[in-house]
Amino acid sequence: MTASALPIRRERLQGAGLDAALPYLLLAPAVLIVLAVLIYPLYDGLRASTAFYRYGRPLRDVGLGNYLKLWSDPEFLNSLWVTVSFVTLSVAIETVLGLLLALFCAREFRGIRLLRTVLIIPMVITPVVVAIVFRLIYASDAGMLTAFSEALGGQPVQILGNPLTAFSGLVALDVWEWTPLLFLIILAGLQSLPVEPFEAARVDGAGAWRTFIDHTLPMLRPVLAVAIVLRTIDAFGTFDQVFVLTGGGPGQSTLLLSIFGYNTAFKFQETGYAAALFVTMGVLVLALALAAVRLLRRVEAT
Amino acid sequence: MTDNNPFQRPVSRRTLLQGSAGLAVAAALGGTVPAKAADAKKVIIGAFADGGLTPFKDKIIPLAKSQGFDITFLEDEYGVTLEKWFADAQNKAGQYDLYLLDDPWVPQFGAADVLEDLGAAGIDGSNSDWIGPLIDMGYWPPRQGPRVKGFETATPTLVTVPFVGDLQTLTYRNDVYTDGAPATWDDVIAKGKAGVAAGKIKYPVVFRGVTGNPIVTSWYPVFLSFGGEFFDDKWNVTFNNDKGKAAAEFFVGTMKQNAPPGVVEFDSDQEGAAILGGDAGAIIQYSGNAIKSDDPAQTKVPGKLDFGVVPKQEKAIAQLGIFIAGVPKSAPNKQNSIDFLKWYTSPDTQAKLAEAGSIPVTRSGFAVKDPGNRLIPVALKQLDAGALPRPRMPDWAKVEELLGNELNKALQAGSGGGAALDAAAKSVTAYLTQAGYYS
Repeated sequence: MTASALPIRRERLQGAGLDAALPYLLLAPAVLIVLAVLIYPLYDGLRASTAFYRYGRPLRDVGLGNYLKLWSDPEFLNSLWVTVSFVTLSVAIETVLGLLLALFCAREFRGIRLLRTVLIIPMVITPVVVAIVFRLIYASDAGMLTAFSEALGGQPVQILGNPLTAFSGLVALDVWEWTPLLFLIILAGLQSLPVEPFEAARVDGAGAWRTFIDHTLPMLRPVLAVAIVLRTIDAFGTFDQVFVLTGGGPGQSTLLLSIFGYNTAFKFQETGYAAALFVTMGVLVLALALAAVRLLRRVEAT
Repeated sequence: MTDNNPFQRPVSRRTLLQGSAGLAVAAALGGTVPAKAADAKKVIIGAFADGGLTPFKDKIIPLAKSQGFDITFLEDEYGVTLEKWFADAQNKAGQYDLYLLDDPWVPQFGAADVLEDLGAAGIDGSNSDWIGPLIDMGYWPPRQGPRVKGFETATPTLVTVPFVGDLQTLTYRNDVYTDGAPATWDDVIAKGKAGVAAGKIKYPVVFRGVTGNPIVTSWYPVFLSFGGEFFDDKWNVTFNNDKGKAAAEFFVGTMKQNAPPGVVEFDSDQEGAAILGGDAGAIIQYSGNAIKSDDPAQTKVPGKLDFGVVPKQEKAIAQLGIFIAGVPKSAPNKQNSIDFLKWYTSPDTQAKLAEAGSIPVTRSGFAVKDPGNRLIPVALKQLDAGALPRPRMPDWAKVEELLGNELNKALQAGSGGGAALDAAAKSVTAYLTQAGYYS
């Protein structure tokens, strides 16, 4: 091909619409990947949620039957209640503790860098490992708590054999593991606050508590809201720790939606019902996130 | 850089010839190793971690290798194997050539039609050397008893073959039960209490209390010994009849009072620690844990643990819970797996299995002069006394879960076993109704 022929060929291609199509061609691989790994599974999950499965195969279409069945299934309602209780309690405790730790660690003193590093260690440990460690602490026959109790002349400590203590033990595990996340986000928020209002408050003679209520907390509200929303969404999906520590028991006292859904899908092969459960769970979390975003906007506006 | 740099030396003819010869020898040697591996029959076996397979792993796999099988043995934790293998079989992933299933899983795999017909592949299920109740468990739909909807008229097909003949037996402290194995539950408790009073043990019994499979597995032999029956021949729930309720009350009441305080959260590791550590007087367990009694590295009371038939109230019936082998239709080395099973179930190999200390699945296996452990003759006694499998239904996992939840709640309370069975019966019936069992 001669040099003079190139511009002619390019003009022909442009005439055929190459320039117009080029952006779409460049986007096509990414779009195909998204379709394959996100849209199709979502569609397939929705389709499965309207079918009745036996022996791993869809037998018949049941429309919204699986969704309706959920709301009359005592196991689902129990799991929903356990999950909401778990999320509410865990996130509330983590937020308060995270805030207190952040306030303490926002100051500069000798060893503070080491302390900040140590405080975030639980968050970086694999959840399954954390659950195994807590199992070794809680076990009534050879656990650390029982060893302490017996050394002091007491009885074996039973955490995992009682519904209330097992649930509390699970919350304690979650608090231990995820308070560092709240601490880290709030600490970053604290360190980005302007210093002027605090200096003015000090000049005006405001005490620590008054400064915290009137200045720190209001200015920190957007950061707190983001941290709480993120952690709440994450807590709804808690699985590993419960799977290892209690398996949902004793009875069904720690049966979170994630465990119930997993059992339904994989252990009992009720694929359609499990799909309806997870779609419902997704919608609930999405609704929660949207409500939280609206709340966040209102907080920012005020 | 100096003139001595070897990379800059001129290559002589001799060096070139030496190098070529070396390469040729290396290629020849290298070529022989893969050729040898290619001759071996590759079989990928999936199993859940259980002491009942230890003799197979230690003695039979090396033997199989010497017979030309290239065995890859992949172990998983019990709780995840069912879903993992079912997904593998259903999606035709082809990750395994052989599953060593827990026998209650056979109906689920059989109904899903994901396993090879081993009868058609040349394994003879009618061979009289098989132990009857064990080979029966290999068929889907079952040759005897009620069948689930959709399989009423189907011809029973041998989709799995027994692999290790596991069943529950009693392990007891011979310094507490000095007259031999306690024959009744009353003996277990009464003599156990005397053992506690004498300071020999801390608790007469120990069992598993964790919700789901563990608690149901522990309760089942008590239930059977009280004369309980799970379903009638139309899948109507019968486990909450008077006998069943008596067994449940005894289990959550008397047995709990005579077990370690944390028994509600006990699984096999804790119950094993209680008997091997010398705290408990008696336990009903499968062979994988029972044979640890003779391992000085694992027990603190060597020589003080003996085996016997499970105690009776009406009958002395144990639960059968065998390892059973199935070949997925998606197995990459299907013929190798079938060849392996034929070799493994042959009289010679079964004799070797018994000598290695595992409970065989054929009668000839029990006839060996020198069984590998003293549990094997007791297992045969238990088979003669009575041993029953769990109901042959694809939904057993769900039934077990529903029943286990209620039993676990009653165990926490220490009473209300009968009411727990009524509640479980209601939820099991509701579940089986929507699954189409009664329509």
